[in-house]
Amino acid sequence: MSDATAPNQPLMTSDGRLLKDALQQSLRRSKLKALGLISIPFLFLVIVFAMPVFNLLVKSVDDNLINEVLPRTFAIYEDWDGTELPGEAHYEAMFLDLTGAEGIQIGKASTRMNYDKSKWKSLIKKSARKFKNIESGPYKEVMIKTDKKWGDITFWQSLGSMKDPYTFGYYLNAVDLRYNHDKSVTAQPENRRIYKMLWGRTLLVSLIVTVLCLILAYPVSHLLATLPLRYSNLLMICVLMPFWTSLLVRIVAWMIMLQQNGVVNDALVHNGLLDDENRLAMMYNFTGTIIVMTQILLPFMILPIYSVMRTISPNYMKAAQNLGASPALAFLKVYMPLTVPGVGAGVILVFIVAIGYYITPELVGGKDGQLIGNQIAYHLKSSLNWGLASAMGVMLLAGILILYWCYDKIVGIDNMRMG
Amino acid sequence: MKYRTTAISAFVFGAFAATSVAQAADVTVVSWGGAYTASQQKAYGEPWEKSTGKKIHWENYNGGLGEVRTQVESGNVTWDIVDILPHEARVGCDEGLFEKIPSEMLTKGADGSSFDDDMMVPRPNDCVAPQIWWSYMAFFDDKTFSGDKPSTVADFFDTKKFPGKRGIHTWPNALIEMALYADGVAINDIYNVMDTDEGIDRAFKKLDTIKDDVVFWSSGAKPLELVKSGEVAMSIAYNGRVGAAILSEGESFVPIWDGQVLEEEWIAIVKGAKNKDAAMEFVKFASAPEQQAGQAKYINYGPMRKSAFDIMKKGEPWFHNGKTIMEHMPNRPEVMGGSIMANPEWWADNGDAVKERFEAWKAQ
Repeated sequence: MSDATAPNQPLMTSDGRLLKDALQQSLRRSKLKALGLISIPFLFLVIVFAMPVFNLLVKSVDDNLINEVLPRTFAIYEDWDGTELPGEAHYEAMFLDLTGAEGIQIGKASTRMNYDKSKWKSLIKKSARKFKNIESGPYKEVMIKTDKKWGDITFWQSLGSMKDPYTFGYYLNAVDLRYNHDKSVTAQPENRRIYKMLWGRTLLVSLIVTVLCLILAYPVSHLLATLPLRYSNLLMICVLMPFWTSLLVRIVAWMIMLQQNGVVNDALVHNGLLDDENRLAMMYNFTGTIIVMTQILLPFMILPIYSVMRTISPNYMKAAQNLGASPALAFLKVYMPLTVPGVGAGVILVFIVAIGYYITPELVGGKDGQLIGNQIAYHLKSSLNWGLASAMGVMLLAGILILYWCYDKIVGIDNMRMG
Repeated sequence: MKYRTTAISAFVFGAFAATSVAQAADVTVVSWGGAYTASQQKAYGEPWEKSTGKKIHWENYNGGLGEVRTQVESGNVTWDIVDILPHEARVGCDEGLFEKIPSEMLTKGADGSSFDDDMMVPRPNDCVAPQIWWSYMAFFDDKTFSGDKPSTVADFFDTKKFPGKRGIHTWPNALIEMALYADGVAINDIYNVMDTDEGIDRAFKKLDTIKDDVVFWSSGAKPLELVKSGEVAMSIAYNGRVGAAILSEGESFVPIWDGQVLEEEWIAIVKGAKNKDAAMEFVKFASAPEQQAGQAKYINYGPMRKSAFDIMKKGEPWFHNGKTIMEHMPNRPEVMGGSIMANPEWWADNGDAVKERFEAWKAQ
């Protein structure tokens, strides 16, 4: 018993350190190493993903610019009841703000003001120029004389929705609502309502495309997974070739096929199946968008389903049939449930890609195939209303996150398999 | 280890090579591509390169100031010169996205008049230099109508007299003006009428009359295809596209000059451009009367400078393939009486609202 160590004596390493410390040290070292390794992708993620998304969030509510340009006007704006033209104090504040601000700031502010009410832009621009000739007050009369719009109460009322440094106005605009001058919410005039319709259409197109992709992809994936290797390889190439072909080439190919004087219509008319007068309109409309998007997104559905089907042993089906199930029942009860993870992955993938689609609808959408993505692009590129574009982007992102959450609740995200 | 160093140095070298290619050009000019950019290259791009020994890098874009704003705000400006629409010429300058180009810097008229006197319209601000006039106009194929031929924009809106589909673009600019003019509004009154809500209602009511026959287009080549294939009987198009088809390809298209909507086109230097001095030199050269006239050798867009017109008239037949060009110029005096001058200020003020209304109209 003498060689046994006392139970209380700490364990030592061969070089005489405490085993516990040595272990901890080496653990810490490997942890640091691991941290070092993930820090690069982490930084990458922060820079290229988290920061832009954060930026988007800020841009969609930010209204600082206008408050920097018109501080005096907004400071006393609340004193005005909004029923009659404001008094001299408000005109003076506006005058001082406009003559005091920098030219470029005024330019930007006028663009911002024009989002809430048309004609602000020229009013501000002209006034900023003409006010230089006005030397002293009282300002109200002179300003109205310079431009009679200063005597139009609706311009003063529209300022109400801009007076806070942050605004949810862009989000309201994105669903055809707007602020009144007292910041109560009201609907846009009827002839300007387009966004709700576009959101609805975007959802509808994404749903239809996802369902069509699923219907088309399921049998193809099944074939791919069950055919002998040399045939399935060939089939796989048929799936992948279009996937590798440039998006634009595929879109143009569809245009040639489907337009009114295209290959399909010509063939139908030639064979007498169709009158020359009644050629089908399959391009530059809703139908065209659906057809082309389905074809383009199909591989995103086939590949995950295929990779899951390939792992399902044919023995399961044999066993089920052996136990008395008809082929149909065996397929429904045994095979299909096993493919759910792949189907889930494919559905989510296709739906998420489809909902933000922009280039295909732009080219083949015509008048009723444009989606919300096209509107975002328009506001980014042409109208320069980045606030509204950001708000719509955030809503799109939020929609996808909600979808993801629902999927997790219903199917479970751990069940999803890409391969 | 050896392999790794080689890989790293290859990567670094590759990165350097990539940046040095971008810097090899002395000035980057961004324009719309196609026959338009080609006319710019031939008329003043190549001559400028030859006379200064500098190199131009041409890039294409689809319009809009989104990219310019991104470059200026991020401080990473890669474009030097950009070819812009009238609306952008104003907004860009208001927002401080462009460098100033003083009038004294720009070339005098060929007849010795000052730069400002030589302009057909005054510059909207000192950020832009003149490019060309272009227009939205209606046109048809001579073969489509055997008897009476359409000759006014009112005929374009008259599907009883001239049956058949109509091609129009997917945005409201020019369509509102044309609709009102076709509805009987005098040219000088059009923007006054458009300033009222009733005026816009009236324009949309007129558009309603052809709505069932409308085919939309969004890229400039499309209306030519539509008319040529017979899919539509008449279409709105850019005048340069129609002219090019007639002048270079011998198509039997007939332009309807009445009711065309004339638009300006400008060039500007992006704020903080890396090659600002070279860009200034280039802008001066490109906006000179000789070069403006020279551009009309390759495309039938009209010069903005009066003295460029004189050069062309004296030089007829001016088009590069030996055809006469004056009757294809959108801003020649003979057609100005029936032409609507677009008002970019109005569109800057009301564009967003009308665009939304137009989208709603399309979707109804």
